[in-house]
Amino acid sequence: MTDRHDPAPYIDLKGIRKGYRIGTETVSIFADLDLAIAGGAFVAIMGPSGSGKSTLLNMLAGIESPDAGQLMIGGNRLDRMGEASRTAWRAHNMGMVFQFYNLLPMLTAAENVELPLLLKPLSGKERRLRTEKVLDLVGLAGREKQYPTRMSGGQQQRVGIARAIVADPGLLLCDEPTGDLDRKSADDILAMLGFLNRELCKTIVMVTHDPQAARHANRVLHLDKGEFAEERSAA
Amino acid sequence: MASAIRQTLVMTRANLLSLPRRQAISLSMSLSIALVVMVLAGFLSMAKGFEQALRGAGSPTVTVILGGGTYQEVGSDLPPNVVRSILARRSDLGVRRDAASELIASRELVVPVDVRQPGESLGQTMALRGMDLAGLSLRDGVTLSAGRPFAKGSRELLVGDRLARDFPAFGVGDKIRLGAVDWTVSGHFSAGGSAFESELWADLDAVRAGFDRQGEVQTLRVRLDSPAAIATLRDALSDITETPLVITSEADLYAGQSGRTADLIRLFGWPLALLMAVGAGAGALNTMMSSVADRTAEIAIVRTLGFGRLAAFASTWIEAVLLSLAGAAIGVAASWALFNGWQASTVGANNTRMMFQLAVTGDVMMTAALLGLAIGAIGGALPAIVAIRRR
Ligand SMILES: Nc1ncnc2c1ncn2[C@@H]1O[C@H](COP(=O)(O)OP(=O)(O)OP(=O)(O)O)[C@@H](O)[C@H]1O
Ligand SMILES: [Mg+2]
Repeated sequence: MTDRHDPAPYIDLKGIRKGYRIGTETVSIFADLDLAIAGGAFVAIMGPSGSGKSTLLNMLAGIESPDAGQLMIGGNRLDRMGEASRTAWRAHNMGMVFQFYNLLPMLTAAENVELPLLLKPLSGKERRLRTEKVLDLVGLAGREKQYPTRMSGGQQQRVGIARAIVADPGLLLCDEPTGDLDRKSADDILAMLGFLNRELCKTIVMVTHDPQAARHANRVLHLDKGEFAEERSAA
Repeated sequence: MASAIRQTLVMTRANLLSLPRRQAISLSMSLSIALVVMVLAGFLSMAKGFEQALRGAGSPTVTVILGGGTYQEVGSDLPPNVVRSILARRSDLGVRRDAASELIASRELVVPVDVRQPGESLGQTMALRGMDLAGLSLRDGVTLSAGRPFAKGSRELLVGDRLARDFPAFGVGDKIRLGAVDWTVSGHFSAGGSAFESELWADLDAVRAGFDRQGEVQTLRVRLDSPAAIATLRDALSDITETPLVITSEADLYAGQSGRTADLIRLFGWPLALLMAVGAGAGALNTMMSSVADRTAEIAIVRTLGFGRLAAFASTWIEAVLLSLAGAAIGVAASWALFNGWQASTVGANNTRMMFQLAVTGDVMMTAALLGLAIGAIGGALPAIVAIRRR
């Protein structure tokens, strides 16, 4: 399955322009970026530091908006949405995984995972059942009441993944999910992402510096100086 | 909307859960607000207590006639022939008369006296009031609490309860030197804690003789048939031209005095409290600002999960309001425990010592607490805005 033959890619970026204003100058990150990603793909994005990988991911998440261009995900034009609609869209359509887990330290593992469910009309019982189910899925059954600060990096990242998938979004955005982990834990996390991609059909966009991590993806893109270069595309 | 409220609740809960990690800083915010509340409550309860003391002293049917165009008893002077002329009138003055249809009236004279407690080098200035025996019946709410009233023509003192409590030298039967002569305490009286209780009462002629004020009368007290009869009295006495008369109800006389002093207390209290409020507000702001860094990270996290801006703002702000609410509660409770019923004294009417109790009443607590809350609400809004702006 390759997206180039797909008539309507899941993620479709056309002519994206994005820059940051620093003082009076505008530093351009992307001048005219195109990107199409098929539904169900597992894409790795690599590239030097400062090349705009996180900026791209934040645009896909609707956290930042492009200065110009078309940003379409699952048929929705994010570039045309206001801040509030993008926030609501985010709650229902994507999950994010971060290098440093971004868990709330004062909440337990289960409470952290439950957070996205609080944005949905679910009963407390339903929320608890779904929370337990995903914690079980990431191999943390029985650790519901543990605090993230008491967990290893690999365990914390599993909590992060559980939180990203608990509301069952179609899209997973991962910003260097293994950047803070040892090889063994990193491989576990990557295997888990592969599983979510194959078995639960999540579309995954993963930013990584690690060539071994990129190997788990079925498509690897190189971002440099605001342009993509395709490295490999697996069938 | 329902979702925004739920988001706010969730984030507020998370914020409150993290309070123990920010213990010192949260505590300092609450306590600085408690301090402001206490300062304001202190001043307001002082004004309130002072007011209550003087209010209680006034009766609407007792009228005070002063001479010399003044509202101050010590500055007043009624020439003897004016007093005689008033007392001799047979026409209707709107004033109560006894069985023999004589006016029920009390000629009075207030003399400041220095009272020295045994063992103390510094004396206190108190008000010694000389009056006719009828004066006792012309005071509403006054009851004898010990001993007996002063006897006509003798050097005896009837001492207000509040003075008697503070000065053990005023025990019934005790002798005490006032001016050049000794006086005997014949009894104590209670006046419901009003300003009267800060006075010493004695026979008019004994006071005149003891302080060489023969023939002097400052005020004449009479009881009206009704509060409205004051117009009749003013009308009837309008022919007296020797001295400009001031005819006022006792209630108005004391309210006027209490109003000025209570206003003065408030005049000092509010700016001081507001000044401290600015300080505490800055402290609260600083506290909240320093937790913004913390907060920004947390807000960024939940914002990426799809939590709204409003919830991020509201939860940060609610935390500030809750902390100031706790501070206000501490402040009010401490004020009540420390100040309520606290004896205070001031230089009251006639430049003599007047005692009263600080009164931390409901409206005093409410006003002080609201100021504390306002500080928190304003001091907490700015950091909350900063916190969401960063994301
Ligand atoms: N909010 C911002 N304001 C100004 N400049 C920014 C902002 N965010 C990112 N930049 C700049 O944009 C550029 C791209 O940043 P970005 O974080 O997307 O890079 P990256 O590829 O993720 O780098 P890394 O591999 O180090 O994470 C960098 O030069 C960065 O300094
Ligand atoms: Mg980055």
